[in-house]
Amino acid sequence: MKPKPRVAVFDFADCEGCELEIADLEEEILDLIEIVDIVSFREVMKEHSDNYDIAIVEGSIMRPMDERRLRSIRSKAKILVALGACATMGGVNKIRNQWMPDEVIKSVYGDANVKGNELFDVFQTKALKEVVPVDYYIHGCPIDRDEFKQVITAIALGKKPEIPVYPVCVECKKNENICQFELGTFCLGPITRAGCKAICPTHNSPCEGCRGLIKKAETDCVKEVLERYKLSYEDIRRRCTMYNYGRKECSYDE
Amino acid sequence: MKQTIKTITKKDFLIFINTLLKDKTYEIVGVKAKGKRFVFDILNSADELRLDYDVTILPPKKYFLPQYESLMKFSLEKPFEVKETMEDRPRIIIGMHPYDIIALQQTDTQYLDPQKDDFYKKRRDNTLIIGVDIQNVSERSFAASMKTHVTDTGFDVLLTNLGTTYAVTVGTEKGSSLLKKYATTKEATSAEIKKIKEVRDNIAKKYKKKVKVDKKDWPSILAANYVNSFWEERSDVCMECSSCTMVCPTCFCYDVHDQVSLNLKDGQRIRTWDGCMLRGFTKVGSGEIFREEPKERYRHRFYRKGNYLPQRFGFVACVGCGRCGIACLPDIADPCDVMNELASFGQEEDAGRFFITQKTDVAEKETIHVPRSATIKRAEKRSEIDTLFEIELDDQKPLGHAPGQFVEVSVFGYGEAPFGVSSPPSDTPSFEIVVRKIGNVTSKLILMKPGDKVGIRGPLGTGFDVKALEGKNLLFTSGGTGMVPMRSLINYATDKKNRGKFKDITILYGAKRPKEILFMDDVEQWKKVQNVQCELTVDKCEANECWGGCVGLITTLFPKVRMDKFDSKNTIAVVIGPPVMYKFVIQCLRTMGIPEENILVSLERQMKCGVGKCGHCQINGVYVCKEGPVFNYKQIKALPEAFE
Repeated sequence: MKPKPRVAVFDFADCEGCELEIADLEEEILDLIEIVDIVSFREVMKEHSDNYDIAIVEGSIMRPMDERRLRSIRSKAKILVALGACATMGGVNKIRNQWMPDEVIKSVYGDANVKGNELFDVFQTKALKEVVPVDYYIHGCPIDRDEFKQVITAIALGKKPEIPVYPVCVECKKNENICQFELGTFCLGPITRAGCKAICPTHNSPCEGCRGLIKKAETDCVKEVLERYKLSYEDIRRRCTMYNYGRKECSYDE
Repeated sequence: MKQTIKTITKKDFLIFINTLLKDKTYEIVGVKAKGKRFVFDILNSADELRLDYDVTILPPKKYFLPQYESLMKFSLEKPFEVKETMEDRPRIIIGMHPYDIIALQQTDTQYLDPQKDDFYKKRRDNTLIIGVDIQNVSERSFAASMKTHVTDTGFDVLLTNLGTTYAVTVGTEKGSSLLKKYATTKEATSAEIKKIKEVRDNIAKKYKKKVKVDKKDWPSILAANYVNSFWEERSDVCMECSSCTMVCPTCFCYDVHDQVSLNLKDGQRIRTWDGCMLRGFTKVGSGEIFREEPKERYRHRFYRKGNYLPQRFGFVACVGCGRCGIACLPDIADPCDVMNELASFGQEEDAGRFFITQKTDVAEKETIHVPRSATIKRAEKRSEIDTLFEIELDDQKPLGHAPGQFVEVSVFGYGEAPFGVSSPPSDTPSFEIVVRKIGNVTSKLILMKPGDKVGIRGPLGTGFDVKALEGKNLLFTSGGTGMVPMRSLINYATDKKNRGKFKDITILYGAKRPKEILFMDDVEQWKKVQNVQCELTVDKCEANECWGGCVGLITTLFPKVRMDKFDSKNTIAVVIGPPVMYKFVIQCLRTMGIPEENILVSLERQMKCGVGKCGHCQINGVYVCKEGPVFNYKQIKALPEAFE
């Protein structure tokens, strides 16, 4: 029998919620360890090994020290998987990129002297792919467990996972939800990549765009819709800041 | 069955529903409120029923073609184990409006044709429909203009609200026995029957939204406006979300993908709704997208409803429910608005057709989804990037294909992909395909070895009518992998048994590079056959590649065709190659004096279901997988999407 691939899970700037989604596979964890050996996963185990084939990385890159660590992980892994919005596109951590790093330090730590301490030596937030090549993406904040399974089985079978490149509306319609716009709420579903089964609008909360935008917020159709529903362009810009600050449309290869 | 009319008091009707619920023989679905909107959903009590609804968010098609459904379960461990999955309880749907009933009848036409969809058919047979005449009209609906606000057929039972009672029109035996068993009804009096007519006549008056164009004129108005800046102006604000197709009762295109469980032991093939407004809908293996522009996709939707399906089946595939108008955020999807605006542009005479009639002989099968088990007998590298597979059907029956037909090959866990059959028709259970690594299925296939199992559906599509080629000169032109299906035909024609049936044979074959040339040993054989001329060319030859032949595009070979004895009127030209090749080759053939009707082509599109259902391979109104892939050039060139 072929040896099982060795998997290590790492995190950077994040809430570890996506890792928790993996831990939350519950009894299916048994299936997972049937097909891979998990050699490092700080959130759920004490053991650690630097000998791994697949690195699953959550979180954004904020500092030179993060960058060094990520490069070292990349050099050891044959396959690198970006886990969750922080890793795939920077996510909420990119909100900070609206200001310069020294402004941010000052506003958070005031006059405290953090100079020379590399823990506080921050640059503008980066997604993983801005530092190293990424082989697979598992989108979302948090990730969708079924999509995690889909990507892992695709890696195991050596195929490309079929991740949607159409908007959340498709899945939202299939769930027969009342449209958030019809309810007078502003939703990013029409311009956000599907794959989450429209979980937010299905639970009566508008889409926040956590899986990345598939259409620029500046396109004519968006303006037309905003006008029709008497919403301002400023609204959509603000809403896109939450997960998609400074980000253009996502690419079809991700 | 002759319709009978009864009545039931509203109180007895509630008892009827609650009795059905208690009985549990059927799953009871009815219209319920969801916020300010309505949905078809499982009924828990008769009180939940809202027969006064205007329109539901989704049409009841979800009970016949669910949003997601498992077509089969497969095992990745055993060599070949596949089980069709369908366990649905008999169901009663209460409250379908006439337009939804008519939409379902339209879907029957497509899904219950000889290649019937077994899943759809089972659900259809297993479902009783209790329709209801419209009481409140949705403000976006224009069903009265489409004459779909009332119906005389398509239901088992139809209710009409007469105040304190419902009139019950019984349409089928099934409906009649259901009522006999569970309901207390009375014969309707002649006064009540008169009242039904009044109620129905009144429904039409409630519609504010009207289409100015009679539905019989939709095809011609659309045909006249195929080229019109209107499509671009409108689609400029399209979100490309396909909400319009998702909520449409007459849209039935679908996508299929394999889902593998985390233990890698088994999996399921999942079918889910797809939409022609989504960009990836027409994407083929090589990456080409055939309706790339939003305006092309936007236009396609209206043509499908108002021109292609009317030409094919004789009905406009819009029932005026107005759901797309409600769902579309920029409000560009409403067919009523679009037709009214197009009508203002006027129309020309004889604006062209977007549909061709081609005889397709298809045998009725038990299943269109589950493939037959087959074994790889031989895998042979035929060029640097192509591998030939000989595949044998495990039931030991011959494939029974004609040259030009294709098969869908399943590699469970990876999916299914179409392949032209490369071997000539044969009495043995084996046949050949050629695989070039492109997507998930082909990437896995090229790693497979003799003894490995695959699934086969087919032969599919319309191939070459070899009888019609007899007594003619044959001129074969193929580029790249176009040689794969062409080889089937050439080997048939050059076979000793058949050679005498045809006159001179000329074979022109171009590949990108010498190392991409397929079937070099076949080529050598062909050259030895009497009165066969065979010319090869490559687009490009690197310095380190060994190639003594011609360098240049396929068109450079035409001057070499021995024109002296060439009777162009008695020649059939067959062209198979990449999309870009056709235009230039056909020009050469025309210059040689070959009439358009003597040119046969085979086209590539995304053939997913292979039986004219899923919608991916459509060229205007034509299903390439069913009417094609082999077409007569004169016929197919009329379709703007064929060679654009």
